[in-house]
Formats: sequence, structure tokens, C-alpha cells
Amino acid sequence: MTVKVENITEIKGFLQELKEYSSYDLCEYSDSSIYRRIKKILKDHKLSLDQLIAKTKTDSLFIENIIQEITVNTTEFFRDPEVWRELYQNFYPTLRNKKYINIWHAGCSSGQEVYSNLILLNELDLLDKSNVIATDLNSKVLKVAKSGKYDKKENQEYFENFNAVLNREGNGSDILFEKYFEDGVNSNCVEVKSFLRKQSDFQQHDLVKEEMNNHAKFDIIFCRNVLIYFNSALQTKILKQFHNKLTNGGILVLGNHEGLNGFFKTKFIKDGPVFIKNNTFHFQF
Amino acid sequence: MNDNIRYKAIIIGGSAGSFTVVSKILSKMNPDFPIPVIVCMHRLKHVRSGLVEGLNLKSNIKVIEPNDKEKIVGNRIYLAPSNYHLFIEFDNTIHLSTEETFNHSRPAIDHAFSSAAYAYRDKVLGIILTGANRDGANGMKEIHFKNGTTIVQDPESCDIDTMPKAALNLFEPDYILTPDKITEYLNQLSV
Ligand SMILES: C[S@@+](CC[C@H](N)C(=O)[O-])C[C@H]1O[C@@H](n2cnc3c(N)ncnc32)[C@H](O)[C@@H]1O
Repeated sequence: MTVKVENITEIKGFLQELKEYSSYDLCEYSDSSIYRRIKKILKDHKLSLDQLIAKTKTDSLFIENIIQEITVNTTEFFRDPEVWRELYQNFYPTLRNKKYINIWHAGCSSGQEVYSNLILLNELDLLDKSNVIATDLNSKVLKVAKSGKYDKKENQEYFENFNAVLNREGNGSDILFEKYFEDGVNSNCVEVKSFLRKQSDFQQHDLVKEEMNNHAKFDIIFCRNVLIYFNSALQTKILKQFHNKLTNGGILVLGNHEGLNGFFKTKFIKDGPVFIKNNTFHFQF
Repeated sequence: MNDNIRYKAIIIGGSAGSFTVVSKILSKMNPDFPIPVIVCMHRLKHVRSGLVEGLNLKSNIKVIEPNDKEKIVGNRIYLAPSNYHLFIEFDNTIHLSTEETFNHSRPAIDHAFSSAAYAYRDKVLGIILTGANRDGANGMKEIHFKNGTTIVQDPESCDIDTMPKAALNLFEPDYILTPDKITEYLNQLSV
């Protein structure tokens, strides 16, 4: 069955209904990616757009499923190893003298990014003073994140990133994978060891609708490959929130091919793969 | 077919083996070639970086890996970054996405081509080069049926001709050309 939805305004109509009948507001997600996701959903569920809208109004369980299908949840352990190398070698050592390190992973998906980070912190003996909160809109990926269990096959090539980040020198004192993961010999999955899992706090949170009000300022905010799904106006809004929630000199880690849009270019200084909050006092939101 | 239409963009697709062909084309292009060129190539699994540097060594025109939401401008080569899909938006910007692999690829050439077909319609030139799989053939077809212009690399001149042949099975392109003739065709657009 081929589904023809030629008109983006019809999709907007659906997003409007979704906003009205659920807690989700995807109206400011970037047009073309929303359009593609919804086309795919219509095809996979063999629905017309009208049927989709009708179901949205009556079936809250269905809405949860749809949200899970609309959001793009792909992630990896140590995605972009060179970024993690930089953090590990150059940035994290400067945090040694801090009493606490507050870190927020916004849009953490199934948690691989979070555990990658916890591993680095542990290697630098910073784990005990780190408070790590990780949030996502999608409750299903958060469940996986909390469990810390990952399919071996699906994550296979990404475990190679582990070595690319931690064992590049080849100086014989390699950090072993087994230090952080239980690898059931006969099972298809690896499990993050509990001392790491205990250090992470996964919570459902919608970047579009809620601010992180009850939380101290962050030294590091990760928001990788999340803003690319938002339109520029929404990006600006979220960046402003991040700027407010960062300590002076705190850093924002975006995805490898994400930039700051115009206004924020002066509010952060780009240093390698990270954006450092600019310490200028004359600037206030 | 009217070669005098000004293309808004040129989009080139090929699999990992097309690197030599692409660098050859870029090395002979007119340095002030005015039209943006978008290149979507598969990458070998373990060679994720270094491609843009490699192309810049050869190319007469600046090659960049664009950021998300980057405006597309003339006299630039845009190389799809590894591990992201690349889409062209209606407002002539680039959109990157990490959504699931397509045809076992990310970037998928089909995604890039079909977004270009929608965004530019008859104002785009699609070029498909040597390659070992079928990714790109459907996207080329979309460009063709939205009245864009299409060039398929002459299978005779391909290391591996699966990709061009897959395209030729789906539609009849405007041109079937060797890499040299492709460069010639491009350069006459800028005079
Ligand atoms: C592509 S994943 C990125 C995962 C990880 N940061 C990485 O780079 O590997 C994007 C994540 O953003 C989440 N997301 C989308 N909209 C969101 C919102 N409004 N609030 C919080 N998270 C959101 C999705 O559920 C998804 O898990």
C-alpha cells in the first residue's frame, strides 16, 4: 500500500491534535524529518492520516507507541571516539579540583552515551563526586538505559570505540572491557556493571515543555544529535535554557555536525569539540 | 531537455569505491564553478574520517562537511558527513539525521537524492557513479520523474557497475557518460 501525504500542512494538523490530546508538543520539530517519520508510521501501521488523527484522540497507549516511533533513538557507545578522547585527555582533568561535578545528558536515548561518560569519569577517579542526570522524552529507551543491558550484536562495532578511546597507546596497560561490562558467555547481551548503573539517574523529561528548574547548575551538558530534529526557533529556545543552566565556564557538548545558531555564537566559545559558556558578565537573559 | 536551465544544485552519489572518480572530477572542475555540489558517498566501515581532507587536496573548489541547518551556497562542495543521513530542505539548507540506516547505509544516497528531487524539482542535476550496491538508484529515479536532469556513469567505465546498472534498470537517464565527459559537461555549465 502506498500512502500519499503530499501536504506538510496536513501533518501540521496532526501535530496540533497531538498537542491537544496528549502531553507531547512536536509542532516545532523540523518539518522534513517529522514529515518523513509520519509517512513511515502511516505506512508501517497501514493508516491514513485521518485514521491516525482519530486514533490519537482516543487511544493514549497508541500515542505512546507513536512517540516512540517518531523520535529517532539511534545511539552508540563512545559515538565519535575523538570527541571522548578530547574530553578524557584535555577537559576532564581540569575538573579535578571541583567539589562536585554536575552533568546533564539531555536526550540520552538508551543510555550508551551516559555509560561511556561514566567510564571516563571512573578512569579519572572523578566518579564519586559526579552527579549525573540523564533525560529523554521516550520512556521505552529510558527503560533500556536503566537496565544497562545491550544486545551484543547490535552494539558490536561500537564496543570497538571503547578501545579507540581508552586503549589507543597500546602501552600494554589496556583497560579491559570486563572492568565495566558483564559479558554472559552464552547470552546475547552485555550488561553494564552495577557500580556504574548506580551512578546514573535516568528520568523522563521533555526538553520542549519543561525546564530543569530543581537542579543545580551544570558543569557539563551533553545534548548530542537531539537539536537537529528541531526547527531553528525551538533550537534557540533550548539553547537559551542550556546557557542559563550552565555554570560560568561550563561546557556544552553537541553532536559532531551541530553548530550554534547565530545568536548564541557569541555566548559560547568553541574549543575543539565543545562549546564553553562565555564568561561575560554584561550579558543577561 | 534544456541544458541552459540554471541548476540550483548538483548532487553526486557513489559507493566507497567512487572516491577516485569523485576526486578526479573535482580536480578538473573550474575553480569558480558557481553551482553548489553535494556529494554523498558511502564510507568504508573503518575509514570514517579523512575523506574531506583527501578530497580537498584534489579539489579546486572548497570541500566541507556541513553542519545541520547549514545554508547551501555556490562554489562549494558539500560532503555528506559519516554516520549521518543528509537531506536537502525546501529552504535550501542541509538537514542531518541519525535515523536508521537505509539500504544498509548512513549516509544513504537514496535519501539525499530524493530530498533533492523534492526540494529542487527540475533545477537539480543528479549524477550516479560507480558502486557495488543499489543505493541511489531509486533516488535518481525520483530526480528523473520530477524532471531533474540525470547522468549515469557509463557502466563500461566503472570499477563496479552495480549502482549505475540498477539506475539504468529503473529509468532512462539524460546522459550516460564517462568521468571525463561528466567533468566536461559540468564545466560547460559555468561558462
Ligand atoms: C538520536 S538520539 C541521540 C542519543 C545520544 N545523545 C547520541 O548522540 O548518541 C535523540 C534522542 O532525543 C530524544 N528526544 C527527542 N525529542 C525530545 C524532547 N522533546 N525532550 C527530550 N528528549 C527528546 C529522543 O527520544 C532520542 O532518544
